[in-house]
Amino acid sequence: MAKQSNNFILGLWDHEEVFLHAIEHLRHEGQEIHETLTPFPVHGLEQALGYRDTRLHTAGFLFGATGTTLALSVMSWVMTTNYPINFGGKPNWPLPSFIPITFELTVLFASVGMVLTYCVRNKLFPGYVPRIFDKRTTDDRFALVFDIDGKSDSDVEKIKQLCNSNGAVEVKKRTFDENE
Amino acid sequence: MTERFELTGGLRKNLYIMIGIGLVGLVGAFFLYPENHHSRFWSNLLLNSYFFTGIGIFGIFFVAANTLGYSGWIAVVKRVLLSLSGFVRLGALFALFIILGMFAHQHNLYDHWFDKHHYAELANTKQFFLNPLFWTSRVVVYFLLWILVGDRVIKAFSEPNSNNKEVYKKSKLWAALWIVIFAVTESFVSWDMIMSTDPHWYSTLFGWYNFASYGCAAFAFSILLTIFLKSKGYLAQVNENHIHDLGKFLFAFSIFWTYLWFSQFMLQWYGNIPEDTKYWIKRFDVPLFKVTIFLALALNFLFPLLVILKRGNKRNFKVIGTAAVVIIFGHYLDFFNMVMPEPNFPVVEHHAAAHHASVAKADYTLLAENKDVAAEAHTEKVEVVAEVAHESAAHSDANHEAAHSTPAHHDAHGEEPVKTYAGLGLFELMILTGFVGAFLLAFFDRLSKEPLINESDPYLKESLRHHVEYA
Repeated sequence: MAKQSNNFILGLWDHEEVFLHAIEHLRHEGQEIHETLTPFPVHGLEQALGYRDTRLHTAGFLFGATGTTLALSVMSWVMTTNYPINFGGKPNWPLPSFIPITFELTVLFASVGMVLTYCVRNKLFPGYVPRIFDKRTTDDRFALVFDIDGKSDSDVEKIKQLCNSNGAVEVKKRTFDENE
Repeated sequence: MTERFELTGGLRKNLYIMIGIGLVGLVGAFFLYPENHHSRFWSNLLLNSYFFTGIGIFGIFFVAANTLGYSGWIAVVKRVLLSLSGFVRLGALFALFIILGMFAHQHNLYDHWFDKHHYAELANTKQFFLNPLFWTSRVVVYFLLWILVGDRVIKAFSEPNSNNKEVYKKSKLWAALWIVIFAVTESFVSWDMIMSTDPHWYSTLFGWYNFASYGCAAFAFSILLTIFLKSKGYLAQVNENHIHDLGKFLFAFSIFWTYLWFSQFMLQWYGNIPEDTKYWIKRFDVPLFKVTIFLALALNFLFPLLVILKRGNKRNFKVIGTAAVVIIFGHYLDFFNMVMPEPNFPVVEHHAAAHHASVAKADYTLLAENKDVAAEAHTEKVEVVAEVAHESAAHSDANHEAAHSTPAHHDAHGEEPVKTYAGLGLFELMILTGFVGAFLLAFFDRLSKEPLINESDPYLKESLRHHVEYA
């Protein structure tokens, strides 16, 4: 794991439209945005940041396919090889009666798998202490976070200046302790 | 914004050619397959007119449901969905033709209860429901409601000043009324026109199952026709986001259809009650229907699952358009499986009750003989066929002959596939082409009567700005 950076520049905006335009301008200027923090989901933020589509549904499909395969193979093995019993005169491999269980297991695997994947990707597991950049991002401020580790003073000044010229209401340096 | 669709001469000519092909197909099927009361002709007529009428009333239903649900995205494609109902009038004509043919004893579609002797075999409660007079008046009422109320509902959705609060509120009332009418009539019409071809069999989810099937076809048609209109330069306001939403509904209804198809199949397979399972035996014992059942399942479930689950495919006009064509054919096949087996089963007329009794007696003799001579390996199969023979083919040509010849002649009956007069060939495709032509002509005719987009729709702004972010 790469060493975590501790030094950041924080730009705060108070209006989402201005904030979205600022992101476009800053990205146009070639600045790399480390993180965005908003009090509510902002429409069009992913597009402005140029994020690629989430791959969570691909993971969901794979989890679901695992459930399908597991259900069908275990039931087939039990009913034909391990413990074949005659139920109501049906064949020993009664595929139609496997379908409801297969469906349930597919949904179970897909949903639980996706929830867990989501939590792990977003570091939402027990014991994780998130870094609070600015408390007001849960209230009325939209924040852009820039990683300035290893950046020269002139680069940092440029970021500050770009934030200010794009409508930021506040620009500040945020430093974390090693163990924070 | 007030652009109107104009049906150009070239398109009209093509549609007339399609209708002409259909007429040739109908006439050809009537004269080339006179067996079994021209059952191939009549069953194709019933299948197609029912299928396309269902698509029509579903279009109004979907707009009504969205109106009640405050959905905005639909405003720009509203006219396309509403115009699907243009065919309902033609469907009424075909239904009238079928009713007249029934009373003139020209076909055997509803012989299992229309025929006096078979009517006597029905349970008392079913006799009340399936007597010709009550049945006919019900079917007439459905079509009257669909045409009269349907037109009024469409008018309420297309009012030129619908951003007026009073007008908008009134359109909601009409939408609610249509939902009630549609819910009742679409279930009843599926029992009356399709399930009653075999009144001894029943499925309690048959109404929904039909609804899901023509629902898929209606979404597929609206996607296809919207893309077509865009390619002709109309509906510039419709973009891939609206098609994406229609595609999501198409996919959801495909899965819904599969759920109902499977629920119906699995419960009857698992319950294993003769009066339930004979529906499936009649289909699985005939090679043609065995193929079409699995083909319909593949086209209506596996195909949408693999092709239109992906976001990008729903937004790609070429992919979703091709998928729509495949799914329309898949649901045609689904109705083919519902309608075709019963009327095309070999049936003989009953001239006298005494004759009927002698045929029935011969059936039982035949069954007994069959059971005795059948090899052990085939016992189960013979019983299965015996079930069919007893329940519905009791009056088949083969058994009819058996009354006059030696039963031993028919020993191989258990191993032979059950005979059917149905087919899926050139004539079916020609008749389907004709009906598609008539459906599209009625669609374009209705579409051209009003502006393509109602500029006073209160949700128009929302619809124009509509975009799908996820999934």
